[in-house]
Amino acid sequence: MGLTGWPFLWLTIAVAAGSLGCTVWLWPRLARQRAAHIASRLGLILLSQALLIAASAVYANDTFGFFGSWSVLLGTGPQQRIATPSSVIAPAANATSLTVTGSSFGTMFRGGAVFPPDASFRLAGVTPGRPELETRASTAGVVLRVTIHGEYTGIVGADDYVFLPPQYFQPSYRWTRFPVILTFTGYPNDPLNLMRLLNLPAIAARLGAAGRIRPAIYVMVNPSVALPRDTECTNVPAGLQVATFFGTDVPLAVERTFAARTSGSGWAAIGYSTGAYCAVKMAMLYPRQFTAAVSLSGYYVADMDRTTGDLYGGSLGYRLENDLDWRLTHLPAPPVSVLVASSASGEKSLPNTLGFLRLVKPPMRGYALILPRGGHNYYTWRRELPQSLEWLSRRLAR
Amino acid sequence: MPGLTSAALVWDLAVLAAALLGMLLTGWPRLAGSGLSQVVRRVIALCLVEASLLGLVIAVVNRAGGFYSSWSDLLGRYTGGGTLRSVAEGTSGNSAALTVLSSAPVSIPGSVHPVGTLQTVAIAGQLSGLSFRGHVYLPPGYPQALGGHARYPVIVAISGSPATTEAPGAAVRLAVAAAQQIASGRLRPLIVVMLPAGPGADLGCLNLPAGPQAALFFSQDLPAAIASRYLAGTGRNDWGLLGVASGGYCALHLVLTSAPVFSAAAVPAGSYTRPPGSAGPPAGSRDSPLGLQDNLAWLVGHQPMQPISVLFTGTGQARSFLSIARSPMQVTAEAPASAPPSALALDWLGRVLSAPGGR
Repeated sequence: MGLTGWPFLWLTIAVAAGSLGCTVWLWPRLARQRAAHIASRLGLILLSQALLIAASAVYANDTFGFFGSWSVLLGTGPQQRIATPSSVIAPAANATSLTVTGSSFGTMFRGGAVFPPDASFRLAGVTPGRPELETRASTAGVVLRVTIHGEYTGIVGADDYVFLPPQYFQPSYRWTRFPVILTFTGYPNDPLNLMRLLNLPAIAARLGAAGRIRPAIYVMVNPSVALPRDTECTNVPAGLQVATFFGTDVPLAVERTFAARTSGSGWAAIGYSTGAYCAVKMAMLYPRQFTAAVSLSGYYVADMDRTTGDLYGGSLGYRLENDLDWRLTHLPAPPVSVLVASSASGEKSLPNTLGFLRLVKPPMRGYALILPRGGHNYYTWRRELPQSLEWLSRRLAR
Repeated sequence: MPGLTSAALVWDLAVLAAALLGMLLTGWPRLAGSGLSQVVRRVIALCLVEASLLGLVIAVVNRAGGFYSSWSDLLGRYTGGGTLRSVAEGTSGNSAALTVLSSAPVSIPGSVHPVGTLQTVAIAGQLSGLSFRGHVYLPPGYPQALGGHARYPVIVAISGSPATTEAPGAAVRLAVAAAQQIASGRLRPLIVVMLPAGPGADLGCLNLPAGPQAALFFSQDLPAAIASRYLAGTGRNDWGLLGVASGGYCALHLVLTSAPVFSAAAVPAGSYTRPPGSAGPPAGSRDSPLGLQDNLAWLVGHQPMQPISVLFTGTGQARSFLSIARSPMQVTAEAPASAPPSALALDWLGRVLSAPGGR
């Protein structure tokens, strides 16, 4: 039974309700004012309370999409071997480094495949293989579900998504190579939420139709490549090289598969929370690939907690290298632009965000987008998106 | 009503939950009757207690995570964007990444004309902040000889110690070796960049934790600096590495960890289990993750096979690499009978770089 979806949710609700019913049914048998009875009452209440909280957690997981399946929640997937130096990582990918596993029209992935699996998206303005799909694609755009095989790192990014804007399928854009915006979710998360909760492709399509931003390809990825571990886009010593995966492998795979720009000014990154750290980190570590980054409610230190484990090989020095504040203080600033967003009230990231901004020095450019108020949630990030995407569009030179 | 993230809300909910729980535990017998109304009251009482406890848990989690900052935020009532301002304007104060300090023709025995040019250069790493002194050999006829938009492949020759590179002797010898191979038609025209493995000491081309970032210099700063000045190829198939003496560690480490930039390396045969000189980890930490990563034989055995070509020259020990490497990595070893190792390595690099159908 899947972790998400109504069968498991209703099962947990039924179990919680059943435990409530049992308590009501057993009630008269525990009605003596004796210690054993009182303890049993408390035990029954706490048991049904725990089951109720479990059902609420399953509901919250369905709503916010933290974990998409049991295997990512429990870490039984094939890629959980970070910092396990004894195991041999699988051989790197062959020539095909990006596979399309599903496609649907519009700005939301709805499952299924409207294009044949062997369709080629190499050229813009050419509907791959099926001319009759042209009208739909060129008015609504297309979302593809993709698996990205890292050629150099061997990391596999499964269940990532690519949004090709309507213009991608319009004849007048036939010879265009589109800029690419690499979009990171937070942790723990499913990239589907970039469509379902953040509405990013829909907002981009609306701004594009209004002529406020130029069309771009949106590559929507999960920064956590080995859930439930939080990998923080870090090259783990003697482990998964996550920074190289997003900084090199993903751009190579996308540039080979789509009519995408390849020059340094053609790529940017955006993300929220953990994804914001990743976006800024990619621009700072690979400034020749990413010219700009947007951080929505981000942090700038090298995180280390229960979910990350030690990503730095036990080395304080290497951890500092992954600290973006430290990099700005101790290394020359990279030639990129960053937009950092936070809220004047309601967002804990504000002091660290402003602190990071103060460290920005030429040739790096820093911009701030501060909302009057708003917390660490999708309402806030949705409100920040129009200004952020317009800012990105201006940075991605033609 | 107390704010959604206020401590008051948490305390209010905690007191409420505790009071309701206490009342339920003590008042339990009064609801123990058998009538329908009694059963309904039990359900209501239980639901009240559980709802108050659940509310407490949700309030604590929201407060800890800072998810919804107020009741209006929770209900999605805030609208509109914020103020976008530029805080730190960058000036493109572009100092030259590569400066040519001097330039001299390269002459070889048996030729009256110079065969290429040897330049002494200073390279300032834009991202690493490291500055290197080195030499650049330009083949005869550079830059017109190739014609059209053709670009020259680049061999980065790395010697162990700065002394050998900065002293022109070694650079001249390598330039003459390249010039001879080019003049005899065994090597096609290409650019040779000669650098030490570190700006001061031999860093093995490693990023020392929170120290000099030599790997960053070689993988990002160097290609950009060369491209800013010379008609050099930009693809990975145009870039190869030549390890000279203890620079072999640096070259092999770079091709293994920066394969998106370099596609081939020719190095003296060796075991390469740890970096040369002072760059290595203390003896006790060689089994630490960073120490393991610096062991190049370990790296070949544990990271995915990189699409690179490696040549081991000379009579040293390279068996471990030959036995571990699998496709797409290609490893060959050659102990030259007559030709000097540098000529052999140059010829081999000239063949594998930008080879037709190459990667």
